[in-house]
Amino acid sequence: MFEVYTAAQLWLCYMMDDIDAMFSDLLGEMDLLTQWLPFLSSLGQETVPPAPLPSTKQEPNFSIGFTDLNVGTQFNMLACSYLLISTQHKAPLRLMGMSLVWQSPSTSWKTMTWMRSWPDLVADLNATEEKLAAEIQGLKVPAPPPSDLPPPPTGLSAWPASSLASPASPASSTGSSVSTPASSAASPLPPPPPQSVKPTMEEIEAQMKADKIKLALEKLKEAKVKKLVVKVLLNDGSSKTLMVDERQSVREVLDQLFEKTHCDCNVDWSLCETNPELQLERTFEDHENLVEPLLAWMRDSENKVHFKERSEKNEVFKNPQNFYLWKKDKKTLKDIKDRDKELLIQENFGGTSIIVPDLEAVLYLKEDGKKSWKQRLFQLRASGIYYVPKGKTKSSRDLLCFVQFDNVNVYYGKDFKSKYKAPTDFCFVLKHPQIQKESQYIKYLCCDDAWTMNLWVTGIRIAKYGVSLYENYKTAEKKAAVSSVWTNRSTPSSSNPSTPSPTIKAKAPSQANGHAPTPQPGPASKVQLQTRLWKCPTSSSAPTIGRDPSPTTSRPGPPTSATSHLHWPPRQDLRPPSDTCRPTSLHLCLQWTTSLPRLAAPSPNDEDPPDFLPPPPPAMGFGSLPPPPPAMGSLPPPPPPASFGGMDQSLPPPPPDPGFLPPPPPQPVFTGAGAPPPPPPPPPPGPSAAPVAAKVRPAGSVRKIPPATPKRTTPSLHGGGGGGGGDLMSELMLAMNKKRGNH
Amino acid sequence: MAAWDLSVTVEDLGPDAPPVTLSVASDLHVGGVILKLVEKTQIKRDWSDHALWWEQKQMWLLRTAWTLEKYGIHADARLHFMPQHKPVRLALPSGITLRLRACFSSPVFQTVMGICRMLISRPCLYNGMPAHFADSPEMEAIYKMLSVTQPPPAPEVIAKQYRPASVVDKAHIHGRWLDSSRCLMQQGIQENDRVWLRFKYYAFYDIDPKYDVVRLTQLYEQARWALLLEDIDCTEEEMMLFGALQYHINKVSQSEPQMLSTSAAMDDLESALQSLEVKMEGESSSASEMLENMTAPELNDYLKIFRPKRLTLKGYKQYWFKFQDTSICYFKSKEESIGEPIQQINLKGCEVAPDVNVAAQKFLIRLLIPAPEGMNEVYLRCENEQQYAQWMAACRLGSKGKTLADSSFQSEIQSIRSFLAMQKTSSGSHGNVPADESINTHSLVSPRYHKKYKPKQLTPRILDAYQNVAQLSLTDAVMRFLQIWQALPDFGLSYVVVRFKGSRKDEVLGIAPNRLIRIDLGVGDVVKTWRYNNMKQWNVNWDIQQVAIEFEGNVNIAFSCVTANCKIVHEFIGGYIFMSTRSREKSDTLNEELFHKLTGGHEAL
Repeated sequence: MFEVYTAAQLWLCYMMDDIDAMFSDLLGEMDLLTQWLPFLSSLGQETVPPAPLPSTKQEPNFSIGFTDLNVGTQFNMLACSYLLISTQHKAPLRLMGMSLVWQSPSTSWKTMTWMRSWPDLVADLNATEEKLAAEIQGLKVPAPPPSDLPPPPTGLSAWPASSLASPASPASSTGSSVSTPASSAASPLPPPPPQSVKPTMEEIEAQMKADKIKLALEKLKEAKVKKLVVKVLLNDGSSKTLMVDERQSVREVLDQLFEKTHCDCNVDWSLCETNPELQLERTFEDHENLVEPLLAWMRDSENKVHFKERSEKNEVFKNPQNFYLWKKDKKTLKDIKDRDKELLIQENFGGTSIIVPDLEAVLYLKEDGKKSWKQRLFQLRASGIYYVPKGKTKSSRDLLCFVQFDNVNVYYGKDFKSKYKAPTDFCFVLKHPQIQKESQYIKYLCCDDAWTMNLWVTGIRIAKYGVSLYENYKTAEKKAAVSSVWTNRSTPSSSNPSTPSPTIKAKAPSQANGHAPTPQPGPASKVQLQTRLWKCPTSSSAPTIGRDPSPTTSRPGPPTSATSHLHWPPRQDLRPPSDTCRPTSLHLCLQWTTSLPRLAAPSPNDEDPPDFLPPPPPAMGFGSLPPPPPAMGSLPPPPPPASFGGMDQSLPPPPPDPGFLPPPPPQPVFTGAGAPPPPPPPPPPGPSAAPVAAKVRPAGSVRKIPPATPKRTTPSLHGGGGGGGGDLMSELMLAMNKKRGNH
Repeated sequence: MAAWDLSVTVEDLGPDAPPVTLSVASDLHVGGVILKLVEKTQIKRDWSDHALWWEQKQMWLLRTAWTLEKYGIHADARLHFMPQHKPVRLALPSGITLRLRACFSSPVFQTVMGICRMLISRPCLYNGMPAHFADSPEMEAIYKMLSVTQPPPAPEVIAKQYRPASVVDKAHIHGRWLDSSRCLMQQGIQENDRVWLRFKYYAFYDIDPKYDVVRLTQLYEQARWALLLEDIDCTEEEMMLFGALQYHINKVSQSEPQMLSTSAAMDDLESALQSLEVKMEGESSSASEMLENMTAPELNDYLKIFRPKRLTLKGYKQYWFKFQDTSICYFKSKEESIGEPIQQINLKGCEVAPDVNVAAQKFLIRLLIPAPEGMNEVYLRCENEQQYAQWMAACRLGSKGKTLADSSFQSEIQSIRSFLAMQKTSSGSHGNVPADESINTHSLVSPRYHKKYKPKQLTPRILDAYQNVAQLSLTDAVMRFLQIWQALPDFGLSYVVVRFKGSRKDEVLGIAPNRLIRIDLGVGDVVKTWRYNNMKQWNVNWDIQQVAIEFEGNVNIAFSCVTANCKIVHEFIGGYIFMSTRSREKSDTLNEELFHKLTGGHEAL
């Protein structure tokens, strides 16, 4: 069975000669596939108790286990063939981790994920290598010779296309990392129809060569992308773990966190790094890439990333007068009119040149290597911080440069009074981001009061980042506005009598953030897991949808309602907060129901909601999955999974009826979190769409009925993958319509 | 009506010719006077540009239908008959002087608009003059001339120019702006006088590099001269950056004579290729290595390294160095370069500084490598210029996270070499060098630094700053120059010495695009700032030459002007307020009437 081939394997097969090279490259390749991680890691957080699921015939060793520490998780599932995912958490997730996802050839898909701190990883690598090497050997056998790769062209081309989709639309997607795994998961495509060998062999070969080159280039690009698993601490002491790739900006990560935490998305939310050793804290700017500064941390670093509200971040745009007119008396500043604030922002951020607040103050400077602090008159200019040498005037020509901003970041110092005997606790520090320990190259400055300190830190940020700050603010503002609209809309709907959501919502935050110390057994999370796993390999927008309960809830509904589900605006908010995914069955029930009103709220066709009222066990749809756990009994009885059950057990997970599947189109909307709350429904389903869709790759899940995918059209379709997410999305939409039409 | 004698001096008859005497009646209109005059002179020529100027009243008699009575002209009036357009020498910000015929009879504002429309293609506010260019080829040539930046002036030229030594000096310069609501003739400008054309208002309306080439160039020239002549203060670091930008702009404009010739499409393609190169590079698999070899030049050589941190004697040790990605690796010898390097130094984010003395054949690269514990200092010693230029360029790229595959590698090497050449020549015989490659670095900085540094001391500092701008296109470099200029704290300030009401000493009023500032003359400190957007009204008492301004919150100030006519202050304030109204509504037409209303003073009423 070649259909599960992925480009990654092909790549491996023909590019590698010796095991060593293979392994090292495998690491890179596997990294690609770790796009699974977001959900796997979030699973980890949720600390689901190990709970063996009744396994299918084919996979007797099927089991789930999740705890925070040292629990290996193995998950075997049927995709088109088998899917085996084994997740191992050997060490507590620290800030970084490394993960490998590996696909085995021909029939089975194997994903292994290690997430652990660096030292552990290194230690374990050798052992792992052997194991992998052994598997690779096995892999190689079925692999076609490199010279004439006979992989299904669909698989080949789909890979670059899907991997392209994420880099191509980094700006558009707020959760691109989420979408990336989806696209890569989609790669195991339906097998090429055997009959479609109309083009001559030369043409095919030429086409394949072109594809190969394209693939190679894509791989090169992709393989270099660094990814980190980042644990983000929340205010309540809990944490969220997410995978961030190096192309992602802080803004995108924030958007992901908004999804995960359901906070109010206001402009103050920030990611901060803290360095306990130096007692420093810095707010990342939204346009920065998150991975790069994190890579500067040392392996044994105690540094942390926090997700919290920092009003200082955008204060200059809320009250520009405090920075640009700081010399004026406080009352004048307080009474300033909005019109004048706007004017100030325009003047300083809207012109050809960004104007830095004209700061001048006597600050204390910590002398190199000494404990003493010396007063100096400092001035801030766009080009750096200067000081007035003794006995000189303040005129520009006499100023001496203290520091320029190209290579330093500005940090708040915490508790420097006791640590460094600073005159006050209002200290800030300038240092190269890579410096992590005390050093003579760190510059410590101390201000008389918090106000001065904020003035300076903000001023330095303006000088360093310029207009980016303003753009960040505008983006954040938009985001906040959208989400507040959304909150307003969704709140009333959640009062739907059938939903006990309020309580669960209240509970959610406290339970939310993973690593709950005492996991309790329960079906809920298990069920959700299954949903996820099932989807990832099959549907093209897998991970995102995997968290979206709608498909499962819709399952019991009549086909018509299923179709209408497709219209539902899939927003991030729709996803049941992973927090609510509690181990008890009661919670399970609540979880699903909570999501319902939200789903229903923005929906243009509201006729459906009733269908959902009896929340079906999420596991329903997957025949291959174990039947609902006993706890389910207490739940509103789900409609019997009759029709799907039988088929799925003999077949890979995709349910027979594509109409019930999570609609692929949600993905763009989901990722584009900034989009207006109720996204328009995809083109109405109908037979009219069917002919168009014929050319298009069908939604990933329909393995059963391999579509007539002409070999040549598919590659060309995907060849344009560089064109961005838009093409891919419209394609998906078409495919979906087609399916609806068929249905 | 009784006839009386009117004597008119006709310029065209020569300076010594006696006035022509006409017999006129009071009800004769001005047109009739001119007709009689022309008949009497018996000169056949085109008189259409000529008009009568009334010397005592300092006014043109342009309304030809008005009678002499209506103008109030009597026999004692001394009238001059002369062309309205006369040649003047117009000094542009770039230092170019144009000789052109300017209109002496319309308000300066209009004549300036006329000239700007012609020279710059878009109207903007100047103090200057109108001009007439007869034919388009000439116009075109001038356009070209104006859109090209001038080479750096010789240091002697800078030193010779008048430099304001104090705020008061600057205030005196600003006291010389011409009144925009009166004509040149009224302001005592004579034929062939030299007049400066300068940007007066520092609120640059809607600059678009695509259409404003001349404007941008002239703005750059004005900024450059303001810096060179210390008209605006900046710090040493800033001066080095300005110097580097001047160097770069000069260099690029020589190689790329047409400004803005880069098309966006080309840029895109190039950057796409570049990113492809970068992306492909640095991959460990065999295939990508092949690709890498095709794109990235190799760099490896024997160099000497010294790490001052190890408290050993200052010994340089020789190793085989290899540049990889953004890192430097070194090995014991070339033969062992296949194995593990002794050390690998990642240059990303590091500081690179030259320590070079060409005469002494010292070519050191000083690296400050960031590490968790601080910055590690490393010196690389190169044998010769060639080697130094290559490794220096590589280190600079590496510090920015770029690899040798980056397209800028070669140009980086080139610029380092040309700076080395500058150092060589400037240390040797002075001024005896071919002008193309070398520029005296003194041409790039203000005279203060001529005294402080020798040219060869300046070279590495300017080169250092040059690193950050070397990749800019001509337009971008000019824009960057302007941006940094605009970001200077003193940018846009025009000074007037004033005496505030109730104060006994002179103080300085700084007029900026968005505010007025009161500056202590002695210390130079800013005493107080008032923003225009808080301004309720301002009044000028022309009799006692006093300006009174009322701000919100019952703040009233009043001052009389010492170094300038208060019309100038009035015009500045009105002008900036006019500009602020302008930038909000995006209309392309200049509301001349409003401008006149805001700046005209009593004559406008």
